[in-house]
Amino acid sequence: MNILVALQIGLREIAAHKFRSFLSMLGIVLGVSSLVSTLALTAGIEQGTRAFMQQVGGLEYVTIVNKEISNEKFDFWNLSPGRTLRDGLAIKKGAPLVSHVSPELAVGAAISAPGRSDRKSIRGVYPDHFVVGRHELKAGRFLTNLDVERSLRTAVIGDEIAATLWPGLPTKDVVGRQIKINDRPFEVVGVLAKYERDEDRKKREAGKPVTPSRMGRRWDPFRQKNESLLIPFSTMFYEFRAGAFPLDSMESVRLDSLIVRIGDLDKFRPALDQLRSILDVTHRGVDDFDLETREEWFGRMESSVRATKMSGGLIAAISLIVGGIGIMNIMLASISERVREIGIRLAVGAKGRDIFVQILVESVSIAFIGGLLGVLAAFGLLEILKLIAPTENSPIMTLGGVLFSVGFAILSGFLSGIYPAMRASRLHPIAALRYE
Amino acid sequence: MSLIHLEGVSKFYKVGDQEIRALDSVDLRIEEGEFVSIIGPSGSGKSTLMHLLGCLDAPTSGRMEICGNDLSKASQNRLATVRNREIGFVFQAFNLLPKLDVVRNVELPLVYSGLRARERRIRAEQVARDVGLGERLANRPVQLSGGQCQRVAIARALVNNPRIVFGDEPTGNLDSATGEMILQMFKDLNAGGKTIVLVTHDPDIARVSRRVIEIRDGKIRREYAP
Repeated sequence: MNILVALQIGLREIAAHKFRSFLSMLGIVLGVSSLVSTLALTAGIEQGTRAFMQQVGGLEYVTIVNKEISNEKFDFWNLSPGRTLRDGLAIKKGAPLVSHVSPELAVGAAISAPGRSDRKSIRGVYPDHFVVGRHELKAGRFLTNLDVERSLRTAVIGDEIAATLWPGLPTKDVVGRQIKINDRPFEVVGVLAKYERDEDRKKREAGKPVTPSRMGRRWDPFRQKNESLLIPFSTMFYEFRAGAFPLDSMESVRLDSLIVRIGDLDKFRPALDQLRSILDVTHRGVDDFDLETREEWFGRMESSVRATKMSGGLIAAISLIVGGIGIMNIMLASISERVREIGIRLAVGAKGRDIFVQILVESVSIAFIGGLLGVLAAFGLLEILKLIAPTENSPIMTLGGVLFSVGFAILSGFLSGIYPAMRASRLHPIAALRYE
Repeated sequence: MSLIHLEGVSKFYKVGDQEIRALDSVDLRIEEGEFVSIIGPSGSGKSTLMHLLGCLDAPTSGRMEICGNDLSKASQNRLATVRNREIGFVFQAFNLLPKLDVVRNVELPLVYSGLRARERRIRAEQVARDVGLGERLANRPVQLSGGQCQRVAIARALVNNPRIVFGDEPTGNLDSATGEMILQMFKDLNAGGKTIVLVTHDPDIARVSRRVIEIRDGKIRREYAP
């Protein structure tokens, strides 16, 4: 007997008992909808994470971070000057595998332009920050070595700052304006590009409104970058930090951040060794720093996404197995109801194999239809979810996820059909014909 | 060679510890084109004999050849193939599938001989018309009278053009006039060259055939021509 005939018989049987068929599908519907939703939600999280990774930079960036010193070595702690500009200068000089070094100081300050003011975080940086921070300029120039050497009062501002202080003003006109930081005048020499996620850019280019990212629930990975306010490192030190600790020189002030870029990823490990040996010297052998690579960080994020996927997938898989058992149950009941029918089919020449295929196809059809309903249910569920709880990482239903889920449902229907099909195919024609 | 050839065929059933000898060393030959009745009271073994002849079951021992196939130790699959090609059944209880219409019931044996849907349909409709059901092709069995149901069953038995048609008390559920009509159809079939084997407990019905085999206690007790 051909599969098409079996399919026809199976579908007719399903249609003849609509409510019963629906009940037997229910487990599969729930299982598939939860599997599809889980995959869509984690796909959303994955995409958000990827956007975040893109924003923080690639693998070639290494952050030097402070490390808690262990208790027994606490006495040595004062020996180390900590993370200072000296580290940065030493790395620049002594680590040829490191291409860019960006030491940074940060301070919160009041900023103002005629008629407007705000409070923002300001950072003192070196020209290398342009590369390390993965910036793009929209107008003007970035800070130069001259700005740092002369401690000029120059500033490069993010798109969002420009929009806040000079709303409606074309970007090229913002360059050359004066901005006051804690009442000291600075000249805006450059405006950075507007950073946004790919999907937002596509929306904007298509002329659709982009949901404002500053208010409400949406978390924007680029917000901090768009609110950049950068001034020369030396200017920052002399204008805003020098008075805090009178004994500090610019070289010995503790940095708020120290990020470097490795020139060649193929020499990543040797570059880390170079960094470590230089920092060992500048920190006088005190183990109070750590090299944080994006590799570990990304790895952590990816493994947490994977864990979410696994746990959601496991729950969904269990409900699919339960759904399969539901199908098996109904199939067994339906077979004992159809013994006579099977007997008649055997009497006119059906083989055990034909009966087996017929029952199996019916069971797989139930699972398949249940799977399709589950995909529909998941689609509705996710739409509702997007409506009542919009998040940054909105769920994405992928074709792969849908195919995987429906495939799993079909597998579940197949496995749970085997036993009933075997029972049915082993009926003896005479016994089956006599069955009342 | 005979169409049906049994030699020392026995069929035993085990019920608990007891062995029941439903058929005990039966020898029987039926030639192509015969019209045979098998009669006997219930429990005589006539149903068992029909099951064997109809390839629904294989014998416990002895030699059984049907339409040139040695089925002495045949598997269910082999029996199913012979049953599908060479044998048609007409049962007392009609045994139609209630969910299917007349044409689909009639085409059932063709489904299992692997014919394509179009061809199946053409043949099933033709045979259904031949037995006088041309107006009823799209009806379900519940919409038909008993006689019409039995004609559907006959059409189903004939659709694969088998060499032997079995009737297992085919008139048992019908009134006498309708029963007569069905028996007449069997006679016509026989006149057309089909081998007919009728199983009944009623010697009156057996009278339509040309050879009567009487079974008692699992053995052929006597044979006669009515």
